[in-house]
Amino acid sequence: MGPVQVVVVGFDQPTFSGEVLAEFTRLREAGIVRLVDLLLVSRAEDGAFETLAAPSGADAELGGLAAALLGRPEDEDNVEPAVPDADDVDVMAWSLADAVPAGSMAAVALIEHTWAGPLKAAIQRAGGSPLEETWLSPGDLDVLESLIAQRKG
Amino acid sequence: MLLVPKQLMRAGMTGNVPYYGGRFTPAQAYAASHPEWRPGSGPAVAGGTSGPLARTPLPEGRPPAPPPPSRDPADTLLALQNLLDGGVITPEEYERLRSRVGR
Repeated sequence: MGPVQVVVVGFDQPTFSGEVLAEFTRLREAGIVRLVDLLLVSRAEDGAFETLAAPSGADAELGGLAAALLGRPEDEDNVEPAVPDADDVDVMAWSLADAVPAGSMAAVALIEHTWAGPLKAAIQRAGGSPLEETWLSPGDLDVLESLIAQRKG
Repeated sequence: MLLVPKQLMRAGMTGNVPYYGGRFTPAQAYAASHPEWRPGSGPAVAGGTSGPLARTPLPEGRPPAPPPPSRDPADTLLALQNLLDGGVITPEEYERLRSRVGR
C-alpha cells in the first residue's frame, strides 16, 4: 500500500454535489491517488465528537475504516494511547481533537498516494532517510512561479 | 455514533519524519554551528543560479572526522578576536568571554 495521507476539511454546512468524489474517481483512474475512506464528523460545543451518516447515494459503510482508525473502541475509553516513547512525543502525535474546533463539522479523508509508492521504495533503496516534508505556502508558491517564469523568459 | 479520537503518530510520505515543531534537530543544530565541519565543506561552487544559495559538491563517501576543539587559550583568544573583528560579538561580550578563557 502506498503512503496514506489524512486530510481534514472543515465545513459550516457540507453540500454534497458529488464533484469532489468525481475528482477522486478521476485521480484513481489515473493511478495518482485513491480515496481509501471518507468520514464525516461533527464536534459539539462541549468537545464531543459524533460520526455522521454517509451522504445519500454513497456506500453505507463509508467512514467505517476511518472511524476505526482515528477513534478508540468504546471498551478502550480509559486506555492510554499507544504512542512510542520519545522526548518530543507531544509534537509527534496528533488526533482529530487537535484539528477540528468545537462546534463545527469536518470531512476526514484517508487518501492513498499510489504514485508515491515506487518513489518511496526508490528513495529507500538509495539509502535516503526523511528529514523534512512540507508544502510551500501560497506566498512561496508565487515566488517559485515567478522564478520559473523568469527562467523560461 | 460517538467517536473518541485517539492519538496517532505523525509521519511523512517517505516514512517517519523527525518532527521537532519547527526547531532544529540536534543534528541540524550541530551542523549549523559547525559549518566548517559539514560534509563536502570545500569552497562553494557557483551553481549557475542567481539564487542566494550556493551549491556545494556532493561528498564522496564518509566525511573525515572533525578535529577536536582546541584547548589552547591562545587559540581561544584568537577566535574571540576574530568574532569581535567580524562584528559577531560586541566589545562587552568580548571582554566577558575573554575573562573566562583559561579558567
